[in-house]
Formats: sequence, C-alpha cells, structure tokens
Amino acid sequence: MDFYFGLAQIFGVHTLLGLSAYVVLLTGQVSMAQAGFYAIGAYTAGAMTAMFGLHILPAIVIAGLVSAAIACIVGFPALRVKGLMLVVATLAFGEMVRLFFFNLSWQVERGGELFGPDGAEGFRSIRYFPENGWEVWHVTVFIWIVVAVVMAALWWMDRTRAGAVLRAVGHDEVAAQSIGLNLTAVKVGAMTAGGFIAGLGGGIYAHTVTHIEHGVFGVLLATFAIAYPILGGLGSVFGTLLAVLFIQGFLIEGLRFMGDWRSLLFGALIVLAMNLRPNGLLGEHAPRLKSILRLGKPAPDSLETKDAN
Amino acid sequence: MDYFFIIDFVQSLVDGLLFGTTYALIGIGFTLIFGVMRKLNLAYGAAALAGTYIGVAAFLAFDAPPPVVFLLSALGSGIIGIVVYYCCFRFTPTQVPMASLLASVGMLLFIDEAVVHASHGMPVPYPSVFRNAIIEIGDIWVRGDLLFVFGICVVAMGVLFWLLYRTPLGLATRAVSQQPRAAALCGIDPTRVNLLTFGISGVLGGIAGAMTAAAVGVLSPIIALGLTVKGLIAVVIGGLGSIPGAIIGGLLVGASENIFLLLRGVTERDIYVMLMLFLFLTLRPGGLFGSTAGRD
Repeated sequence: MDFYFGLAQIFGVHTLLGLSAYVVLLTGQVSMAQAGFYAIGAYTAGAMTAMFGLHILPAIVIAGLVSAAIACIVGFPALRVKGLMLVVATLAFGEMVRLFFFNLSWQVERGGELFGPDGAEGFRSIRYFPENGWEVWHVTVFIWIVVAVVMAALWWMDRTRAGAVLRAVGHDEVAAQSIGLNLTAVKVGAMTAGGFIAGLGGGIYAHTVTHIEHGVFGVLLATFAIAYPILGGLGSVFGTLLAVLFIQGFLIEGLRFMGDWRSLLFGALIVLAMNLRPNGLLGEHAPRLKSILRLGKPAPDSLETKDAN
Repeated sequence: MDYFFIIDFVQSLVDGLLFGTTYALIGIGFTLIFGVMRKLNLAYGAAALAGTYIGVAAFLAFDAPPPVVFLLSALGSGIIGIVVYYCCFRFTPTQVPMASLLASVGMLLFIDEAVVHASHGMPVPYPSVFRNAIIEIGDIWVRGDLLFVFGICVVAMGVLFWLLYRTPLGLATRAVSQQPRAAALCGIDPTRVNLLTFGISGVLGGIAGAMTAAAVGVLSPIIALGLTVKGLIAVVIGGLGSIPGAIIGGLLVGASENIFLLLRGVTERDIYVMLMLFLFLTLRPGGLFGSTAGRD
C-alpha cells in the first residue's frame, strides 16, 4: 500500500511542477526555467526545516516566495525576448541554477550533526516527516491538499479577468497590447505565479525524498514540466493533471513490465500524441462536464483563433 | 599578471576559438531551420549525436578509416534530420507552435534512449587525426587535431555559403525564409525546401558532432546536451536568423568557455557562459547581427 501512496506523492509534486509551467504557457511563453525554480524551492525549503528547524508549512511557503521573487527578477530580462529566444534564455537560467547548487556548500551544525547542501554530494537528511512522526499517508494527504488548493486557485483564476488577460496575451500579443494590456506586467506576473507554484512543489519534493542533488533538476525535468500542460492541453488545469497521470502513471509506472524498452517507447508515444492531438489530450477548450453528460449533442463552438499569417 | 598567465590565457583563447567552430556549425543548423520554418527543433543535438554514432559503428565494425567515419557521421545525421522532419514537423499544424516543439522533445528523448540502448551507455573511442601533431608559435602550442576540426568546420561553412548563395536550391531556401507564401506563389514547394533544409542542417550537425568527438577522443551520449545548449546560446548571441551571427556567436562561446575554464575551473565554467548570455539578452536582445524581425 505504501508503494501506491508513494506513487500518489510523485503524481502530486509533478502536478505542481506542471501547473507552474501551465500558468506561463497560458501567456504563450515556453519557459524551460521551471526546473530551476523547482530546485530553488527544494533547497530553500530543505534549508528551512533541516537547518533552521521550521515547521513544514511556513517552510514551503517561504520556498515558494523565494522562487517567485527570483522568477520575477529573471522575468524582466528574459521576457524582453520571445519564442525561440525565450526558450534558450530560460534553458540557460535553469542550467545556471543547477550549476549554482552543484557548487554550493553551506552547512550548519544542529544537534551535533551537520546539515545543509554539500556541493556535488547534494543536500542530505531533510528528515522533517520521519522526525515528526508523519506516516506515508499523512504526507500523501498533505501533498494532495496543497495540489487541490493550487488547482482550485488556478481554476478560479481562469474564470476571472486575470485568466482572460493571460489567454488574450497568449493568443495574440498585438491585439492584447492594442486593448491596453501591459504585456510585460502580464508575462512577469505569470512567471512570478509559476515560480511560486514551482517553489511549493520543489519544497514538498525535497521533503518526500529527503535527499536532493543537483542532477535531478536538469533539462530533462524542465522538459517534463512543459510537457505536462502541452500534452494535456491548455484548456484547463485538468489537462495538466491528466497528462501527469498519463506520463507518470501509464508511461513510467504502467509500462515497467517492458523493461529497457519503456524509455524508447516513451519518446515515441509523445511524438505520436503530438501528431494526433496537436492541441493536447483535452484540447484547447476543455470539454465541460455538462456537454459530456449530454452526449450526442455537439458542444457549441467557442471562439476559434485563426493564424493571420 | 606574469608572463605564464598570459601564455595560458592566449593558449586557452586559441583552443577555444578553434573548438568554437563546432558550436558555430550547430548554431547555423538551428538558424537555418528557424529561418525556413520559424520553429525550434530541439531534437537537433540528439540527431547530430546519433549520426556520429552511426559513423563510430562503422569504425568499430569494419575499422573504417577516419575520413569514411566522418562522412558517414555527416550523412547519417542528415538522414536522421529528415526523419525528425517527417515525425515532428511535417504533420503538426503550423498555427500550433507548441505541438512541434513538444514533438521534437519527444524525438530528443527517443533518439537519446536509442543511442544509450545501442551503445549500452558506455563511452566509445572515436578516431582522430593529427593527434600528435603540434605547431609551436613561440610559446603557444596549436594542437593539430583542433586545427583539423577548425579546418573541416570552415570548409563545411564554405560549402554551405556556396549552396545558399550560388545555387537555385539556395535561392529557393532564402526565398522561403523571407516570405513563404510569396515563395509558394513563385512555384517553390515549401515542403521540399523544408525537407532539404532539415537534411542540410542535419549534415552540418553530424559534422559538428563528429568534430566534437574527434577533438575529445571519446564519444558518449552526454555531448548531445552540451551541443544543443551551446549551439542555442551561439544563435542567441549572434542573432536569430543570421548565419554570420551564428559563426561569431559560436566562436565567442567557445573562446569564453575556455577562458572561464582557465579562470574558474570546470564546475563553474558553464555558469559564466550562461551569465554572458543573460548579459546579451539584457543589453542586445536581438543579438549581434539580428534584425528586429529576428525577435520573432
């Protein structure tokens, strides 16, 4: 049973990672820096509990805020460029963060033991959960409460003006600018929100695995982060959740019986999925529950965007 | 600032500039693809790596001489480039740029895994030429194999320029990258041009991969990431869509990488290269040679 709880924990933290990329993708920006923010969150939260003895909740909130602040600072230079240039800039930033933690050694003594990141060795014994008697299912429930809160907040945001503004910028920047939206503010705002969510996810991740090292937060994790929302579709937050279940649950766990061939199939299935459903599994406009229940009647076509070349 | 430091510095600079030509080639490949399709092909570095492995397979199986190995690497990478085009770019809709981006990421994972699977993840020796030849200019040594890498890359660039500016195919390529619709109205088939561009940039990537492996002496799957990231940085510094920019950017990345290696050590080297990129993004977002149109 503990295995399945552990699996649910992985789903939870990866959903947070995917949601952090989802917010940024709504504005049409592809950010490969989410793994970097995730790493910042992981190291910050780990430092808060293991080195300074904080409670887990303030620790992950601080981790989120630190990541958000850094995302905001990075956002200004990075978002001056678009498209391919932004991918490169954020990719470089993510690698820079990883290399920073690779070189970071900062340990404090607590109760006769040294705690803290130690360069290439990584950050060991972030043992907040076992030290405080949390059982596996406690941790799982805690993670999913955080995921549910974040998803609910994003779902609500999507239905307010903020969501409309983000999507307007994502669909057509020129049109968005001409109705008086401040593009930089919107993009940096989205980046900051994404940084906060990634920081939360990273903070929780550090505590579930108890040992983090720089190698985990590489380009591969960054591609996973953008893969979830794109694969799931940008229609709603549930696309990201579905994609996490598809990738982590089906492709990684479900195909374990295939042994070595699993990782080959993994890339091929992503290629296939993007060819068959370029807008993601759930599509650009997520199906409403109502229209699923009224099967047979096609849902009314909503606004179609056409590319005026 | 003693004499030996200056010698070391100049030495690093020369080595870096010579090796930087491989980054320049990768950068040109990214720029070409971006030019005709306005798309980013993230599987490019992996395709270059797979091509290099095809060459090394011939080396291990038939003990092929180095020129044949290099040629096979280039051709293999070109063919894989065309496969990538068909799998990731041909059938994904143009108005959904993220679909092809993610498809190319999937392809990157697939090619990477296939290479690891075939080679069991072990580094393999790669043939080199002029390994022991060293030209001494005063106290500066120029390594023969690096000079060879430099020479091959310059020849490849020369051939590319001839192809782009002196042949009908090059004219068609430049026409599509300027204005795809007008080019199509003039009777140029954009699909064919895209296909050929993927092939040509694949060949360039294969040459860059082969030269990287020849300069290092061993081939392992991890060089794909370095090639991709450094090649992209070269493109951004030089300006998107500009071939001379990609060359200058590649040389700049190669040189600064080696100098930071000398000054700060191997673990911190890449941090400073990335910082340099951010400096460029802040001060000159269009790159050295980029037009404002290059900002997408």
